[in-house]
Amino acid sequence: MITITINGKEIKLEKPVTVLEAAKSAGIKIPTLCSHEQLEKYGGCRLCLVEVEKIPRLQTACTLMVADGMVIKTETEQIADVRRGILEFLLINHPLDCPYCDKAGECELQDLVVKYGPATSRFKEKKRKVPGGLEDPILVRNMERCIVCTRCVRMCEGVQGASAIAVINRGGHSHIEPFSGGRFDCEYCGNCVSVCPVGSIMSRLHRHSYRPWQLMSETETICPYCGVGCTLVVQVRDDIIKRVVPRIGTPVNNGLLCSRGRFGYEFVGSKERLTTPLIKKNGMLEQATWEEAISLVAKRLGEIKDNFGSSAMGGIASPRCTNEDNYVFQKFMRVVLETNNIDSTARTGFAGAQGFIENIFGQGATANIIPGLSNSDAVFIIGGDPTAINPILGLQIRACSRGGGNILTIGHIKGLEKFNPVVLKPEFYSETVLLEGIVSALKNKKGLPGSNQKLEAKVKGINTAVEEIGEKCGITEEDFTKFIEILSESSTPSIVIGKEIAQSSGGSYKLLLISAINYLMNARIYLLSERANEQGLLDMGCAPDLLPGYRTLTFAEFRKRYETAWKVSLPEKTGLSIFEMIDAAKNGSLKAVYIMGENPVFNLPNSKAVEEALKNIDFIVVQDIFLTETGKLADVVLPALSWSEKDGTFTNMERRIQRLRKAVNREGMEDWMIIAEISKNMGAKFNYSEAEDVFKEIARVSPLYRDMTYEEIEKGDAIYPYKGEPLRGVTEEIQVHNPPEPPLSKGGLRGIAAGKLYLRLERPLFHSGTLSRKAPALVNIYPEAVARISLATAKSLSLKAGDIVKVSTKIGSLELPVEIDKKVDSSAIMLSNNFEDKGAFSLMEYTIDPVIKAPCLDGNEAKIEKVK
Amino acid sequence: MEKVLLKNTENPNSADINEYKKVGGYQSLPKAFGMQPKEIIEEVKKSGLRGRGGAGFPAAMKWTFASADPKSPKYLLCNADEGEPGTFKDRQILEKNPHLLIEGMVISGYAIGTEYGFIYLRGEYPAAKDILNRAIKQAYDSGFLGDNILGKGVKFQLAVHQGAGAYICGEETALIESLEGDKGQPRIKPPFPVNVGVFAKPTVINNVETLSNLPYIIEVGGEVYSKIGSPECPGPKLYCVSGHVEKPGVYELPMGTTLREIIYTHCGGIKNGKKLKAVIPGGISTPVLPPDNIDCKMDFVNMPKHGSMLGSGAVIVMDETVCLVRVCYRALKFFEHESCGKCTPCREGTEWLRKILGRIENGEGAEGDIDLMLSVSSNMLGKTFCPLGDGAASVVQNFVRHFRPEFEEHVKNAKCRFK
Repeated sequence: MITITINGKEIKLEKPVTVLEAAKSAGIKIPTLCSHEQLEKYGGCRLCLVEVEKIPRLQTACTLMVADGMVIKTETEQIADVRRGILEFLLINHPLDCPYCDKAGECELQDLVVKYGPATSRFKEKKRKVPGGLEDPILVRNMERCIVCTRCVRMCEGVQGASAIAVINRGGHSHIEPFSGGRFDCEYCGNCVSVCPVGSIMSRLHRHSYRPWQLMSETETICPYCGVGCTLVVQVRDDIIKRVVPRIGTPVNNGLLCSRGRFGYEFVGSKERLTTPLIKKNGMLEQATWEEAISLVAKRLGEIKDNFGSSAMGGIASPRCTNEDNYVFQKFMRVVLETNNIDSTARTGFAGAQGFIENIFGQGATANIIPGLSNSDAVFIIGGDPTAINPILGLQIRACSRGGGNILTIGHIKGLEKFNPVVLKPEFYSETVLLEGIVSALKNKKGLPGSNQKLEAKVKGINTAVEEIGEKCGITEEDFTKFIEILSESSTPSIVIGKEIAQSSGGSYKLLLISAINYLMNARIYLLSERANEQGLLDMGCAPDLLPGYRTLTFAEFRKRYETAWKVSLPEKTGLSIFEMIDAAKNGSLKAVYIMGENPVFNLPNSKAVEEALKNIDFIVVQDIFLTETGKLADVVLPALSWSEKDGTFTNMERRIQRLRKAVNREGMEDWMIIAEISKNMGAKFNYSEAEDVFKEIARVSPLYRDMTYEEIEKGDAIYPYKGEPLRGVTEEIQVHNPPEPPLSKGGLRGIAAGKLYLRLERPLFHSGTLSRKAPALVNIYPEAVARISLATAKSLSLKAGDIVKVSTKIGSLELPVEIDKKVDSSAIMLSNNFEDKGAFSLMEYTIDPVIKAPCLDGNEAKIEKVK
Repeated sequence: MEKVLLKNTENPNSADINEYKKVGGYQSLPKAFGMQPKEIIEEVKKSGLRGRGGAGFPAAMKWTFASADPKSPKYLLCNADEGEPGTFKDRQILEKNPHLLIEGMVISGYAIGTEYGFIYLRGEYPAAKDILNRAIKQAYDSGFLGDNILGKGVKFQLAVHQGAGAYICGEETALIESLEGDKGQPRIKPPFPVNVGVFAKPTVINNVETLSNLPYIIEVGGEVYSKIGSPECPGPKLYCVSGHVEKPGVYELPMGTTLREIIYTHCGGIKNGKKLKAVIPGGISTPVLPPDNIDCKMDFVNMPKHGSMLGSGAVIVMDETVCLVRVCYRALKFFEHESCGKCTPCREGTEWLRKILGRIENGEGAEGDIDLMLSVSSNMLGKTFCPLGDGAASVVQNFVRHFRPEFEEHVKNAKCRFK
């Protein structure tokens, strides 16, 4: 126990902290500017100088560690003089353009001057000028206001790990500049904006559009983008979102955001939002009233059910909608339309991978706390760049590296290249061999633990020699041995799995091998999730084979529980997956589909074929916030309220249930409410008056969310199973699908298909798909689709950056500019699926893995040729 | 006094290893290797050797701290970033007697238990760089550096790292930042470099002159060494004298020689028989002294009693033709230019003071400017991150303290009469 005295007040401390922290814990405020709780100590601004007995020199409270018996004074005449003096120094060159500065009202310098500062200036000279000329579409810099506290630099380097900015020059010429010199070449996380105490780095999105004190509300809610589930504070004036900021102390993101979370909110206020229902008349979508639309939907769905039966109907739920929306949606499908044909885009990887892994390890295998990653001593990453897909999770991996942990990656991961990764880069199609090799090596090193016989039976026979890895994967023995050594010697490893695993050839077999690595290493699994409520959607039973809470539909006992709760009898047959629904549409057996908050014509591979298939369907209802590619095919389009306009809950990839709160008023109905209205029209009563009523029902019927309330969620850390029962009483046999590989000769696929190129999916940091396309800031950062190719490909085809090329596969072609990226595999053309009419999915065919039912996107051979 | 540090430097080839060996060079090395590292530190302790960089920290104490730290490897850094205006004493050793420094570094490396040494050389000493590198090569070739020194199995690797021209890198933690490849800015202390220094390992940083005393201490023993000069801080001392004296230069004299003796006996008095107006005794950061206060003993203990500091022993002598406002202005211009920008009072204060001084010197000073200057400098003093800002503030305070009428005259007459 350490006892210190501050201003005569005795303070007892468990462990040594800084004087600043000690004072704060005792409610004593010491002014600071450069110090920030998220950042490394700096001691530069000198505002926090305090008197310490027995130390002749004044000490900075932010850097001085307490020692037992220390006597500190923070409010003396001398200290008041110091503060006034320091503030005077800061003001002499500060422009004092407060009337014009967006920071005014929440400027830390302004606040401190009000409290301590000099009222008049003794400085007679001209203020310093800093060369300007740096224009950036997102971040506005004003370096004359900069007080060189370096919070932004410390944030960028020490927390975000982007190292995009630095203090350049010295002394009075010091100011912050991006290394790129011109426009920021960074991750646009905007975390520098969060920590800037003055108006030096600000967001252009809300520039000169309001004063902080004019905000009408601040609402804490959850980010609409990825599965990490960061807490956002949405600041609103006149029902327009002015700004989105993070808050320190929130469980997942703790004061940090990524580009999508911070700058991607403008889609809410987009002029392109749907405002009224649309009904297709003579092939044209025309505006209609809610009454017309709802009664038409109810009537047509009823007719189709009567004429073709329930199995001719399907529903596609949304990983962007709340738990409440999705729960009501699946209930509507099962209870009113009486079909289990319910699925979502989670089927493209997440659902299958999660189910597969949990079948091996049991409930919650993938539910580990995100910040826990930074405490791992090794992180093994495969199947995607976590810093782009789940950026805030990616930061934890960077923190792990910074703390001395090892980063082990299969394939090159751009966002981690500065973090000393140990990389194994197998040739195309040889990932399976490499994983087998890792399993073999770990088995030899560690032996089989014997606790999971089911899994061991599957991997016992795997024995891949180092030589084979060398031959087939093009990886040297030295590199492989080093990798295995680091992995096997780690004691708290984590495994991060991206969607590319489930979307590649032999996806289920790869998942088995990764599960074996997890088992042999006693690691923790993190399954990357690209959508905000992908987890919750599955929890809610938006799957053809599972009832809410992952209750297997085919078990009568489970079914009965829901039949009792919902007072109906439920269809027994497992429904169609999303891909099976597309097939059914193609062959004409699917007559009606209800699509809530999803855009399958764009978000499913082979999107042209999806479009053709949907055109076969008699009646399509699309419920969305924009008129999407899918919406254009619909017979009825229903405008929904979006994120920030509604209440509810999201469940993130850790299975943390969090509250989504309404921040903006808009006329309209929440997704669940629209469905409840339709149900009412079809004679089924869904009696909910608000989202919370739906949640109460979920908590009553779902074993995972049992007894949970909004009140409990507000307290934070609502991670299920919440007083729940085990997820899977019965586990099934492990099935894997290991398709015959292409004959692997030396150098993997490249060896047999020299000169061939394959189209692969890029997952950029700045986009997510439908929403991000409507967020001007994100479009500004990453404005158009590009084909990314290797230097070798560029050379062999004499292409240079910016050339317009035609990328074509068997099923189509796109014209777009080309970019050259040293790190791209020489057999790959990388293309994202984010831009209208330029999506990679329009060129990608797929096969379905029969176990995890995810689409395999490998092997889409492509050509690239110069257009101009 | 027998020359220790500048021994044989009148020989034009003194930097050559053979010339060094001819006058007894590298003779202390085998003697040192015959001692236990602890015994060497004990000998240094007995010698009373204090750091010659300016702060006068007991060398043996620094070494004891570093050698007690269990972390490894440890590093020995020689601070050859001689940037304090007026100082050119280390240059004499670096260019004329580099093997003395190398021998001293091997001995201290052995005493501390480190195998790695760096010489952080100021960017503006290109000649010294070549000389040092040549000397280091000679030492490697002769088995005084490397993996098996003198066949005794002692290891010591030595390399020169040249700075890029920043005064702040003479501050030990900024020097470490710079050596590691970062921008030269001081680090938070504690932890001190002896525990967390280069690459977060225990690091001893000593000045060129300090390390160059080692061979002699080993040769004659700490006891004998401690009898040279001032008893509280004994040893030979290099005083580098510039300005208006007849014979400016570097003088090796016993520590504690009076300022008067240095100026009038050794340097031949004020040039052209002019009157002495002011002396800066230890480099620009040390308080200026008026002519009636030069009977002070130039050592770490006595100088503070006379209101100044020994600093680096860089004596800057100014005669009656010098405008002290201009000197002060020029000094602040230097500090402003060299301020690293990390802390507020130094970054802003040096600039502000320079601007006020510029006004006064240009005859544009206003009533109250002198007090404003004192107020600004007192807002800096004791509040800056490192001593650079303190140095700048104290220059203004001391010049005004001793020569206020000259400042007032500038303001009153709205011009500088020395122009």
